[in-house]
Amino acid sequence: MKRIVKAGMIVLFMLVVIASAFGQGTKKLVPIELWYGAAITEAGPPPDDWVFYKIAREQLGIDLKLMAEPSNENDQDVKILAAAAANQLPDIFMVRREPWQILIKQGLVAEVDDMYPLMPHRAEHWFNQDSRNYTTINGKSYGLAFPGSLQKNEGLVIRKDWLDKLGLKMPTTLDEFFDVCYAFTYNDPDGNGKNDTYGFGAFVEYFDQEMYLGRRFDPIMGAFGVAGTWNMTKHDFGLNVKKPEYYEALQFVKKMIDAKVIDPDWPSLKKDDFRAAWKQGKFGIMREQFAALAAAANYAPFDKNFPNGEWAALPPPKGPSGKSSVGVYDMNYRIYAVSTKAAKAGKKEAIARLLDYMATDEGYKLIGWGIEGVNYSIDANGNISDKGVPEDTKFSSPKGQTVTQLRNMVFYNSEMELISRYPYFKTANGRTMGPLLYLKTFQSFPWTNVTGSGTIKPHPNNADLKRYINQGVQEFVLGKRPLTKENFAAFVAQMDKLGAAEWEKTARREMEEAGYLQ
Amino acid sequence: MTSTIKLTRSDRVFHIFIDAALALILALLIIPIWSTLTLSFQPNDFIGSALDGMILPPWKWSTAAYKALLGHRSFLSAAGNSFRIFFEGVITALFFTVPLAYALSIKTLPGRKLLYGIVLVPYLFNPGLVPNYLLVTKLSLTNTLAAVFLPGAVSVYNTLIMKSFFEELPEELKESARIDGASELTVLLKIILPLSKPILLTIGLYYGVHFWNDFFNAMLYINDAKLQPLPILLRNILLSSGMNEYVEANAFGEAPIYAIKAASVFLAAIPMLVAYPFIQRYFVKGTMLGSIKG
Repeated sequence: MKRIVKAGMIVLFMLVVIASAFGQGTKKLVPIELWYGAAITEAGPPPDDWVFYKIAREQLGIDLKLMAEPSNENDQDVKILAAAAANQLPDIFMVRREPWQILIKQGLVAEVDDMYPLMPHRAEHWFNQDSRNYTTINGKSYGLAFPGSLQKNEGLVIRKDWLDKLGLKMPTTLDEFFDVCYAFTYNDPDGNGKNDTYGFGAFVEYFDQEMYLGRRFDPIMGAFGVAGTWNMTKHDFGLNVKKPEYYEALQFVKKMIDAKVIDPDWPSLKKDDFRAAWKQGKFGIMREQFAALAAAANYAPFDKNFPNGEWAALPPPKGPSGKSSVGVYDMNYRIYAVSTKAAKAGKKEAIARLLDYMATDEGYKLIGWGIEGVNYSIDANGNISDKGVPEDTKFSSPKGQTVTQLRNMVFYNSEMELISRYPYFKTANGRTMGPLLYLKTFQSFPWTNVTGSGTIKPHPNNADLKRYINQGVQEFVLGKRPLTKENFAAFVAQMDKLGAAEWEKTARREMEEAGYLQ
Repeated sequence: MTSTIKLTRSDRVFHIFIDAALALILALLIIPIWSTLTLSFQPNDFIGSALDGMILPPWKWSTAAYKALLGHRSFLSAAGNSFRIFFEGVITALFFTVPLAYALSIKTLPGRKLLYGIVLVPYLFNPGLVPNYLLVTKLSLTNTLAAVFLPGAVSVYNTLIMKSFFEELPEELKESARIDGASELTVLLKIILPLSKPILLTIGLYYGVHFWNDFFNAMLYINDAKLQPLPILLRNILLSSGMNEYVEANAFGEAPIYAIKAASVFLAAIPMLVAYPFIQRYFVKGTMLGSIKG
């Protein structure tokens, strides 16, 4: 009897094994096509044998197809809108806010409110009320907002070695700022006996939210309360260039230019030239991005040239009414939208499964850095590092970068990410250096929140209007047009005629509706 | 005994003026090329302006950017795809353009005016992005290299130049072949084409340069990274420092990103730079022969 039971058990067990094997074989994979924003587009896609494909298939039941979107935003829009017109959008895709709004109107992206509860791991660091508001239109969420790039990552820096040599203190007000710039220009701070230095260095760097003189002058404009393109307060919303304080700010910039304390090449310099100039010790104060300043590779030429040179973070100077700001910042997100086609095909649940796995501890490290021992290691302090793994596969190597191409879908600017990406190093004279030394200080300085201004629709005559304003402002500070109250009023009046007033009116309505005004 | 023409003072002044003007034009053409070339050889620890870089002695040049690019799988695969698009595109384009141009050049062709009109319509009216996108996707061409060259495989402009060239060839040659019983296909293959080397090379080069440089179709229709051609990679590289300035290292290892950008521009231009001198001697002949007739 016992033998019969035993044999029966064995047969039963075998049947279960066979049945489960058949079950595995017939389990249908859900095909998911994902168009992602690559971390380093030119590095190339993840390899075919990437372990994440296998995990997606075997653990998540998903046949994953990836496509990196073009690196230029306009190209991304064209590609997405063309695919949308042909009703061939992928299942999930990264999309800028403007085309995303068009797709919502066309009914081509699905509501995703029902997906949030399916992603408990994502809820931890990636979704909050703010991110949900970002993708909510008329009470429904039409996209998943993932944290965007690092905010407040630039700041004013000053040559501390020059300050020390001239016996000066860190400037705190605009007047002191001017005096230090003057001393840096005329008192030979580098001690080479030549009159070859300037107080302040800049170049023209425009963004939609940082027009007029551009981003590099914002710490000065911030002292007058007019940093950035838009004033986003309820009581004073509008283009900063039209505010009376802007006129005062221009007067200050003109004073600096007339005193020749700003590197005179600023209107024509390109970003690379500007960076070459500070590495050559041409000026002593500038606004710079933290990694461009202090990442090992970027700092090396300066360190070689000036082993005792030292850039110190400088709080933005206070203006006449005590205001100060490094510049503007925006709570930015990357929107990943799910196509209506995918929702109709019942793929939402599988997409949520995929995204949630990426947010688990295992998924986060796999997508962010790769495999431990192959692409990264954990150092004595528990931090992720690229030391102690093969050179050609470490996550910062050309080959290793390919397995981190989706990292923007999981990174949320955590301490772990920052330490691994921006390690500390020693300078030529043995100082500890690293971008994070600056980042934390920059972030502690006053900034102007302009969240939402990035979503203001451009004026229909945007190119002409922008050119008129930006050129006009430059002409005033360069003395090509006399900077008088009458001239400036006429400049603003003409700006309104070209559409500035109408643009402000429309923008105010948009911002009020979206609840962005502070 | 050789005789020399004696130049007058005004002739000499004129020659000096012409030589100076040509030297200036040459400098205007060479300076940006030289600037790009020297930039591509700049070492990582180079300190100095772009102008300093241009006078950097060659023994201080670094080949890191070229080594990084030529050793990078994305670059090699993109270059391979671009060569395929170039050759397959040119062959396909000539395959379609030559018969069309020949047919249009036969004055006795029934319905020639109608055919001419049909050819001219798309030249004058562009259907736009979406119909093209739908056509390419309906033909299942997405994610194939053909999607890059097939939509532009027949250029009306090139067809008309070729048609004019064919019309210039002596009618007697074609007639004699026809009298001997040759079909139109035989006339085209045995009589016309052997005489059309200049125009085939010229139009082939027009097509080739267009396909080699085409970014838009590749961006639109190719989703598989392994099929992306050089212009896509080049654009990614050129945009990289703007996009990835937070990134601690670029995708090409130790070489500086500006050198990578310049080197990639240079490497992408080399095939065309090499091809032009060989084809140049046919170039003027090919385009000018048919230029009298419209």
